[in-house]
Amino acid sequence: MLIRLEDIRRYYTVGEEEVHALDGVSIAIEKGEWTSIIGQSGSGKSTLMNVLGCLDTPTSGRYILNGQDVSGMSDNALADIRNREIGFIFQTFQLLPRETAQANVELPLVYRGLRARERHERATAALEKVGLANRVHHRPNELSGGQRQRVAIARALVTEPSLLLADEPTGNLDSATGEEIIRLFEQLHSAGHTLVLVTHEPAIAARCPRAVRLMDGKVVSDGPGAQVALESRAERARAAAAAVAP
Amino acid sequence: MKPSVELYEGTRIALSSLRANPLRTILTVAAVGIGVATLLAIVSIIQGLNASFAHQLESLGTATLNISRTPQISMGPTWWMYRNRKQLTVPQMQAIAAQSRYAAFVVPELNEESKDITSRQQTASGVDVTGTLGDFQRVGGYEMAKGRFITDADSDNERFVIVLGSQVAEALFPDRNPLAESVRVDSRPYRVVGVLAPKGSLLGQSLDLVAFVPFKSFLGVYGKRDFQIDVALHDPKDLDKAEDEITGILRRARNVPPDKPDDFSVFRAEQLADIYKGLTGALYGVAVAVGIITLIVGGIGIMNIMLVSVRERTREIGVRRALGARRRTIVVQFLLEASTVSALGGVLGTTVGLGLAKLVSAVSSVTAVVQPLTVVAGVGFAALVGLVFGIWPAARAAQLDPVEALRHE
Ligand SMILES: Nc1ncnc2c1ncn2[C@@H]1O[C@H](COP(=O)(O)OP(=O)(O)O)[C@@H](O)[C@H]1O
Ligand SMILES: [Mg+2]
Repeated sequence: MLIRLEDIRRYYTVGEEEVHALDGVSIAIEKGEWTSIIGQSGSGKSTLMNVLGCLDTPTSGRYILNGQDVSGMSDNALADIRNREIGFIFQTFQLLPRETAQANVELPLVYRGLRARERHERATAALEKVGLANRVHHRPNELSGGQRQRVAIARALVTEPSLLLADEPTGNLDSATGEEIIRLFEQLHSAGHTLVLVTHEPAIAARCPRAVRLMDGKVVSDGPGAQVALESRAERARAAAAAVAP
Repeated sequence: MKPSVELYEGTRIALSSLRANPLRTILTVAAVGIGVATLLAIVSIIQGLNASFAHQLESLGTATLNISRTPQISMGPTWWMYRNRKQLTVPQMQAIAAQSRYAAFVVPELNEESKDITSRQQTASGVDVTGTLGDFQRVGGYEMAKGRFITDADSDNERFVIVLGSQVAEALFPDRNPLAESVRVDSRPYRVVGVLAPKGSLLGQSLDLVAFVPFKSFLGVYGKRDFQIDVALHDPKDLDKAEDEITGILRRARNVPPDKPDDFSVFRAEQLADIYKGLTGALYGVAVAVGIITLIVGGIGIMNIMLVSVRERTREIGVRRALGARRRTIVVQFLLEASTVSALGGVLGTTVGLGLAKLVSAVSSVTAVVQPLTVVAGVGFAALVGLVFGIWPAARAAQLDPVEALRHE
């Protein structure tokens, strides 16, 4: 078992009100699984991803990652966990604009304390893996959206993390480019990587072996991607009908 | 992350960030540079003043006591306190010479300030004319350029001979050997028997605008009056003991009852040094305060710019934190950035400050002294300012919540 979440809650206080971004989430993910988290905007997907990535600390609940109880770890320990265990892929790529693709991919290895030569070799290999061997010296503004996301994926892969987390990775891409990125994820899955992919698009969830649907911070279904995607579409249709009804 | 890697990476990031914002970097460097330049120029100039004063004071002879009826240096209108004091006399002076174990030379000194001395064609104005005896040459540390000094025989025989300071001789006899020439002081003729070697100046006053005549001749011309007794010691270390001893001798010679205070004053050249130190010390304090305030202003500039930099790079900080940077690593990164920019300011300020000091040396009589330590302190202090004023922005950067930071636009 790579991930075990037990009754995770993440509450925000906004003015007088308490927002339950995650309201008792319990899921388990095996090594090598490809899971998507689907739900409408505001359902808690990003919050869940931040908790999984040890960027955010839940209000309550237990989180076991790769055999370690992460809940209550120190800030430094969490930084090290993020560096060793997690690879993040963001909707907005989050590359450092002034650095080259190569330097961006090397960054997590800098924080791991690797020497320049080894960083260079591993970053070059990672960029090759995502098909960007000929773009290593380009800066983000010299790359297309799809290429930027590939750099971000290389950066996530370069530390050989146990978990890849992607939050709406195709959200800023046109559908053709998005499709390429999803294909890349399929390859990574076949290669044995554990993937969690956050999306609001049933079409993408449908292509994942497993999907978890969130609504108002709660897990409302968890099963094969195609089946959960269908539920999600039906739910959306109901919501749309309710919105236009008199 | 290893500290060495942290430093290396931090410096690399700092330099790239400074390069990315050239205008901002230049302004901050300038702000710190001005502070360092001010501080350095002032310190160098004051150190120069001090060095030349110390040198001048040495030539004055520190191992000397000057005894007079009234204090040589007094603050405020205190003359009435001393008006009943009796004059010093030649027998009293002789008592000191006979009884003191510490005194090497004891000579009288009578002064007429700001006299005109004339030769046939020329006039030298503002000359201090002193009536004294032969040993004064040793007491005052005078070297002869030509001829000889006044002798005791000159005084005993009331000869009208005169020894000229170098500047006076130069003014009166620009193209002639002054020896054996005749000059007039208050329309009385004197024969020149010697010319002194130049001594330079003390506190901006020339020590070469002087002339010496025999003690008794002086008394004969200007009448009986207060004179000062100069006592040169064998050993400067005996200054305190000598002062006690001579005070005792004089009290006995002047019949001062044991319950009464001294009715004469003892002055040491040392005291002049104290007064001078007090003066430049105050100047030093003000100047250093000005420099430090300027540096603080520079430091606040750095803090401001670092806060802007942190805000602009919030997302970058979020990315770094997501990829595994610890808080400390972020702190180090921003502290390095702040101290790099201020150290650059320190280097610039040092260069400009030294230039200023050189310039002052070139256009005025003050010679600035640049000590290597001052330069090191200038750059180091600037970097320290950056470090101190960088702490708050760096801490703010490190305290950012990674999730919030990543969402920042
Ligand atoms: N920092 C925050 N402060 C207050 N409320 C928040 C914060 N972050 C998220 N929320 C709220 O939590 C809920 C879930 O947000 P999020 O996880 O971003 O949803 P999703 O990614 O599914 O669109 C939303 O209602 C959102 O408004
Ligand atoms: Mg979201």
